[in-house]
Amino acid sequence: MRAQVKRTTIWFIAFLVALAAVAGSLVYAQFDAGYYSERNPGAIAQPAPRKETDGAIYGVTAYPLYPPELAAGPGREEVESYCSTCHSTRYITMQPPLPPETWTAEVNKMVKVMGQPIPEDVQPVIIKYLQMHYAVETRKP
Amino acid sequence: MTLSQPTGKPIQAELRGMSRRKLLRAATIAAGAVAVGGLGGPTNLFAQQSEVPGDEKLLPSFTGPSQNPYWNSVGPVVQYPQKAALVLLTDRPVQLETPRHYFESAFTPNEAFYVRWHLDEIPNSVDLATWRLSIEGAVDRPLKFSMSDLSSKFKPVSVAAVNQCSGNSRSKFQPRVPGGQWGHGAMGNAKWTGAPLRELLEAAKIKPDALLVQFQGLDQGKGPEGHGSHEFLKSLDLKNPVLDDCLVAYAMNDQPLPMLNGFPVRLIVPGYFATYWMKGLSWIRVLDKPDENFWMKTGYRVPDTPRGNTTPDDVKAGNVRTVPISRMPVRSFIVSPDGAAKLVAQLPLTIRGIAFSGYGPVNKMDISLDDGKSWTAAELGEDHGPYSFRTWTHRWTPPKPGRYVLAARATDGKGNVQPDDGVWNPGGYLWNRIERQEVVVGRSS
Repeated sequence: MRAQVKRTTIWFIAFLVALAAVAGSLVYAQFDAGYYSERNPGAIAQPAPRKETDGAIYGVTAYPLYPPELAAGPGREEVESYCSTCHSTRYITMQPPLPPETWTAEVNKMVKVMGQPIPEDVQPVIIKYLQMHYAVETRKP
Repeated sequence: MTLSQPTGKPIQAELRGMSRRKLLRAATIAAGAVAVGGLGGPTNLFAQQSEVPGDEKLLPSFTGPSQNPYWNSVGPVVQYPQKAALVLLTDRPVQLETPRHYFESAFTPNEAFYVRWHLDEIPNSVDLATWRLSIEGAVDRPLKFSMSDLSSKFKPVSVAAVNQCSGNSRSKFQPRVPGGQWGHGAMGNAKWTGAPLRELLEAAKIKPDALLVQFQGLDQGKGPEGHGSHEFLKSLDLKNPVLDDCLVAYAMNDQPLPMLNGFPVRLIVPGYFATYWMKGLSWIRVLDKPDENFWMKTGYRVPDTPRGNTTPDDVKAGNVRTVPISRMPVRSFIVSPDGAAKLVAQLPLTIRGIAFSGYGPVNKMDISLDDGKSWTAAELGEDHGPYSFRTWTHRWTPPKPGRYVLAARATDGKGNVQPDDGVWNPGGYLWNRIERQEVVVGRSS
């Protein structure tokens, strides 16, 4: 009689455990959890604050630069040296793919309107580079 | 770019993540089998119904040649002094765009306000012991004002006004045009406080033959003198009634201006595009002849046509007469929902947005839930004045699962209604088409 009770109790507890497991699984099955990724878009270090005095000078810390990686190929060095005098080369990578003639017009504008002294023999090198890598037919993701 | 690498042991973390997920899946499948076989429960409660989590792709590094399909531009999010994380367009000179969610409120926080400089030598610090705002040129009494002169000798005047870059939404142009590839976030609204420009000009006594007033700020470029790459100058006609609304502002949302937004003072031109709102304003020059500088004669000009609209062919043929850009056409935006998350069928939500016009107050706001086929009035938020953002809301219960295209359309006090087609001009200016937001509605059970 006593052994009988014991066996029933064990079976009952086993049944409860199984039921709890099923119930627990049911809850978990209704959402995704713990989905982390090692692929991250990058993190930005926090800048330290300036040391200030109570004088009349108001300032901020240095403005960070985010130079882009330009496409590899002949003309890249010329672009990096002549196009960076007044602005970062992000002005190039930010653009949508442009028709080749638009890049010609942009370089001509920088020389004639903005007054950037790009030597005459370097101008075609720069134009060709931009057309080779940043035009509608040639731009790569 | 300065990026810090994740620390720790990535492979182990990956395995832990995987094994935990696998375990859950296994437990789920086991539970399903037990339920089907032993308990007779409905199978659709189980794992096969759970959807795949979002993939891990990042935005592309550029858009085009088609239209930028995103609300903001696609650059990385970056950190600049006195600023929240903003979207980078360019780092030298600095151009940063405000993320969409900041437009849920009528006033854009200073730390989130977009940034656009033209020349690379922008101030990192200003010494107010020596800094002065000069009024010079065709005046009888040239003057120099210190910061304390401006804030104490003139009665402070405040205005809520939208500052929007002329090229805001340029990445929506088709065909695409070169220039800053802004999404819609090159705009912001603030309460500006300062001295009225007219009072400063009156104190300096303008000569009777004067025509224009020209503005210059603390930024300088490395290009040769006399070129647009060396100095950034803008001017307004002395007869232009907008001068009566202009302020020389030393406060933005009741705080000193962030350095990147024009500390110590900035010109406020309510209703006009931001190109005239000179940052770090330090020289006010009264001119008695036309302003021939690049930024007036060549840059920031729009076709003298309805909406500033033209075609690439007309530009090529040289048929396009242009005028300097001026007031902002009426615009409105859906800020939320933004399409980043699904909506639940039968569960009510609030659609939120903003509207503004450079021609006067927005006094009517319509919303469409069917891609512009039918329209209903949205509820307008508090009125902060004719040149401010006006918030609007519309309560909506998505009736059933599916895809919906929401659209927003503003009407201003002059009766201007947002059109439902784009605009094209070579500068990428004056975009004000009705904007849309697609949303996905899922089942609620």
